[in-house]
Amino acid sequence: MKTLNKVIATVCASVLAAGTVVAGGHGSVADFYKGKTVELYIGYDPGGGYDTYARLVARHIGKHIPGNPNVVPKNMPGAGSVKLANWLWEAAPKDGTVFGAISRGAPFEPVLGNDKAKFKANKYTWVGSANNEVSVCATMKKNGITNWEQLKTQELTVGGNGSGSDTEQFPKLMNAVLGTKFKVIGPYGGGADIVKAMEAGELGGRCGWSWSSVKATKADLLASGDLVLLMQMSGSKHPELPNVPLVMDLAKTKEERQMLNLIFARQALGRPFLAPPDLPADRAKALQDAFMAMVNDPAFLAEAKKMDLELSPLSGAEVAALVAESYDTPQAVVDRAIAAIR
Amino acid sequence: MELSLLEVAFNALGVMLEPERLMYLGLGTVLGLAIGIMPGIGGVAGLALLLPFTFSLDAYSAFAFMLGLGAVTSTSDTIPAVLFGVPGTSASQATVIDGHSMAKKGEAGRALSAAYAASLIGGLWGALLLGLTIPVLRPIMLNINSPELLAFSIFGLSMVSALSGSMPLRGLAMAGFGVLLAMVGGDPTSGQQRWTFDTLYLYDDLPLLPVALGLFALPELADIAIKRMAISQTTKYNLRDGMMMGLKDVLKNWLLVAKCGSLGAFIGAIPGLGSAVVDWFAYGYAAKTCKGASETFGKGDVRGVIAPESANNAKEGGSLVPTIAFGVPGSASMALLLGGFMIHGLVPGKAMVTTNIEVTYAMVWSIALANILGAGLCFAFSGQFAKIATLRYTLVIPGVICIMMVGAFQASADWGDLFVLLIFGSVGWIMKHMRWPRPPLILGFVLGGIIEDYMRISYQLYEWGWVLRPVCAVMLIAAALSLTQPLLSKVFVKRETLALPRFSSPVFTKGDGFSFAFIAVLVWMIWRSLSWDEEAQGPPQVIAGLTLALVVISLLWAAVTRRYSDGKQGAILDLVADMGELTRPMVNLRALQFLAWLGAFVAVWAIAGILVSALCFVVFYMRVQAGESWRMVTGYSVVILCLIYFVFDQGFHISWPETVLGTWFPVLQAIPTM
Repeated sequence: MKTLNKVIATVCASVLAAGTVVAGGHGSVADFYKGKTVELYIGYDPGGGYDTYARLVARHIGKHIPGNPNVVPKNMPGAGSVKLANWLWEAAPKDGTVFGAISRGAPFEPVLGNDKAKFKANKYTWVGSANNEVSVCATMKKNGITNWEQLKTQELTVGGNGSGSDTEQFPKLMNAVLGTKFKVIGPYGGGADIVKAMEAGELGGRCGWSWSSVKATKADLLASGDLVLLMQMSGSKHPELPNVPLVMDLAKTKEERQMLNLIFARQALGRPFLAPPDLPADRAKALQDAFMAMVNDPAFLAEAKKMDLELSPLSGAEVAALVAESYDTPQAVVDRAIAAIR
Repeated sequence: MELSLLEVAFNALGVMLEPERLMYLGLGTVLGLAIGIMPGIGGVAGLALLLPFTFSLDAYSAFAFMLGLGAVTSTSDTIPAVLFGVPGTSASQATVIDGHSMAKKGEAGRALSAAYAASLIGGLWGALLLGLTIPVLRPIMLNINSPELLAFSIFGLSMVSALSGSMPLRGLAMAGFGVLLAMVGGDPTSGQQRWTFDTLYLYDDLPLLPVALGLFALPELADIAIKRMAISQTTKYNLRDGMMMGLKDVLKNWLLVAKCGSLGAFIGAIPGLGSAVVDWFAYGYAAKTCKGASETFGKGDVRGVIAPESANNAKEGGSLVPTIAFGVPGSASMALLLGGFMIHGLVPGKAMVTTNIEVTYAMVWSIALANILGAGLCFAFSGQFAKIATLRYTLVIPGVICIMMVGAFQASADWGDLFVLLIFGSVGWIMKHMRWPRPPLILGFVLGGIIEDYMRISYQLYEWGWVLRPVCAVMLIAAALSLTQPLLSKVFVKRETLALPRFSSPVFTKGDGFSFAFIAVLVWMIWRSLSWDEEAQGPPQVIAGLTLALVVISLLWAAVTRRYSDGKQGAILDLVADMGELTRPMVNLRALQFLAWLGAFVAVWAIAGILVSALCFVVFYMRVQAGESWRMVTGYSVVILCLIYFVFDQGFHISWPETVLGTWFPVLQAIPTM
C-alpha cells in the first residue's frame, strides 16, 4: 500500500505541477469557472458510501479547479445511479459546470443488457476514481470453512441485496465460473443487515464486502479470528491481504478470466466520478487535473483519514481505459456472464 | 453490577451537561423542530447538510447535535398535523385523524398541548427503556432474525382490523392494494419490472413521502379550499384552559402513554419499520383497547392524539438499538448518524454496550434532554400556533401548498414525485368522500415491501418451517386473533347473535363507481403481470387476486343488502368529509377547481421554475380567491420566496428540474431554479 501510494503520489505531483502550468497558461478556463457554481450530482440518497465520498470531494475539489468555483453536492437518486448516468448522458449541461458520482457497477449496465441504461460509458468524460475497492468473501469461523476450495463441496449461504447488487452477482458468478456452492439468500435491506444475520448465525457469510468497510466496522471480529476471509475480489491484491486468494488468479481459461474481469473490473474504479460526454477539452482536463491534485492535498487526505475512507485514486484516463476494455469483451463471454448473474 | 451501571449512567449525564455540549444539543433541537414543522422535509436532508460541521466538534457534542436534531422532529411535526391535517413527517400521519378533528372543533390548543406532553413523556420513557435494556440488547437482537421480523410485520398488518372501523372488507381490500403498491418496481430477486410503466422513476419502488402526503395532506387542504372557511370557526377554550386541559388529558391517560411509548421503542428497534408505521400501530392499538373508542375515535378524541404522539417520540430511542449494537441503521437518518459516529471513532458493536457503555448512555441522555427541550419550546409557542387554525383559508393554503410541493419533490428530485402527489391526492380525496378507509392502505404499503423481502428470506432458509419458531408462532396466532377480534368479541363477549340481513336483488348506486374503478385497476394489474417472468408472477398475483375478491364481495354485499338497510353508513376510523351546507355538485366543482390550481402550479414550475410558480400561485390564489390586499400579498410572497430560495435552493441544494424557458433561453438560467 505504502509503495503504491508513493508511486501514485509521485505521478500525481507531476500531474499537479503540469496542471498548475496549464491552468496558468489557459486563463480562459479560470475565467470560465471564476464565480461560477459547479454542481456535483450524487446518484444515491444521502448517507451511503458513494454519498460520503462525493461530499468529501465536493468540499475539496473546488480549490483545485482553475478559477476556484463553488462546488455544491446534490442528490439525484434512482435505479442504482443509472438514472443519474442517463441524465448526465442525455440532459446535463455539457459545459463543465456539472459532474457526477455514480456506482462502480453502473457503467457496465448497458454491456450487461440493462435496456434502461441509455448511455455508452466509454464516451463519458471520466474525471477519476477515489478508491480501488477490494471486496472480500468472508464467513464466521464457527461455520468450519477455512479456505475457498471447501466452497466447491460445501454449501455456504451468503446474503444478497437484490438483483443487480454486488452481494448477489459476485457469488453467482463464482458459482458459474469457479464451481463454488454459494447459496444466495435475500433480499436483505443493506450490507449491514447481512453482517448482522451472519453474526446471528442466520447466514453463513457475506460475499461482496469492501475491505475498507470490514476494517472500519468489524475490527474486533478480525482481531479475535472469528471472521475468516476466503477470497478477495478486484483486479489486483490488496497490499494488506497478501495471503487471501485473488479471484482473478483462480480462473483457468481465458474465457473464465474475461467473465470475471467483466464483473470485477468495476472494483478498480470503486468510487468513480464522471462528467457528460463532449466537454470542451480544456475544461475536461481542468476537472481531471483538479481531481488528481485534490487527492494529494494534505487537507483532503487528513479529512479522508478522519472519516476512515480508503483512498487509492485512479486518474480519469485510467478509469476510461478500464471502462473501454469491458466494452470490448466478446459477446459470447458477455452472454455467459449475464446468464450466470441473472 | 446494577449500582456501577447506575454510576456510569450518571457519569454520562455529567458529561452531557457541560455547557458547550448542551449548546450543541439545543442547536440541534431547534433545527429539528424547524424541520419537523415543514411537511415533506425530513431530518435526512438536514443531517446530510450539517454532518460536515460536526467533524470538528468533540464526539459528545457531535452526537448531541445529531441526536437532538433527530429526536424532536416528531414533536413539532404535530403542529401542521393538528392545524392543517398535513403530517409534518411520516411519524404523525395517525395524529391527523383525531388531532385535526379536534382543531376543527376549536380544540387545537388542547390537542397540541396533549401532543407535546405525550411526546415528552413518550420520548423520556423510550430513553429510559433503552437505558435499562442496554446490557441485554445484543443477546436479544441476535435472537431476532428474519422469520421473527416477518412475524412482527404480519402482526402489524393485522392492525388493519382496528383501522377499518365497521367496514372490514373495505379495510382489508385497501391493505391488499397497499401491499400491491409496495410491489411496484423491480422484483427483488429476478429484477422483473412490475407495473413501472417503463419509467426509471418507478424502478426503485414508489416512494412513501409523496404517497403519504397525497393520501392524507392534499385531501384536507382541498376540503379547506372547498369550504372556503377557516379551519376552525370557534375557539372552545381560552389559551390557558385549553393547554391545561391537554396536560390533564395526558396525565389521566398515563397508562396509555406508557404502553404506546413501549410499543414505539420496540417498533423503532426493528430496522425498516420505524417512523412510517409506529404511529399507526399505536393508534390502532388505542382504537382497539380504549374504552368507548369505537364511538369517539376519528371524531376528535384526545386519546387518538396521545397514543401516536407518545409512540413516535419513543421510537428514536429504539432505533438507536440496531444502529449502535450492530451498525444496522434502521433508517436513512440513522445511516447518516452512523457515518457521524464512525468519524468520531465510535464503532458500533459489542464495545458500545461494554467498554464504551458510557458513550451509549450519553446518547440516551441526549435523546432525553432533547425531548424535554423540544417539548418545552413547543409548549411555549403552542398558543400562538393554535391561533393559526382560525386564520382565513387564503392565508393558509398558499404557504402550505408551496412547502408541501417542494417537500414532495425533494424526496427523489423527480417530476414523478409531483405526479404521484397529485394522483394519490385525488384518490385520497375520493376515498375520504366515499368513506373508504385510508390508514389500511398506507399500512399495507409500508409493511408490504418488508413482508415480501423477509418472506423470501425466511422461505429460502427454512421453507415453511419458519412458522413453527416459537416467537413466530405466537405472533402469527396473535395476528389471527387481532384480525378476527371484532367478530369474536361480538359473538363471545357481547353474546350478540349474528343475524343475516334481508337480501334483495342487487341495487347499485353512483357511489359504487369507486368500487368498479378499483376492480378495473386490479384487473389491469393482473393482466399486466401475466407477461412477466414466470418466477416473478406468483406473489403479486395472489395478493391482487385476494384484493379483487374482497372488493367484489364488498360491492355485492352492499348491493344486495342496500334495499332493506336502514341507510346508516358504516363507521370508518378516518377523517370524514363534513361539507356543511355545500351541495355535492358544488363540492365536486370546487374540488376540480382546486386540482386545476395545483395542476397549474406544476405546469408553471415546468415552464419557469419553482420560484416563479410559487410566486404566481401565491399572488393569483390570494387575489382571485379572496381579494387579499396587495400589501398582504406582497409580504406573503416575499416570505415564501425567501424560504424557498434560502432554505431549499441555497441550503439544501435541491436539484431542480430543467425548465422549458431555461432550456429555450439559457440566459434566463440566471434566475434561480429556472
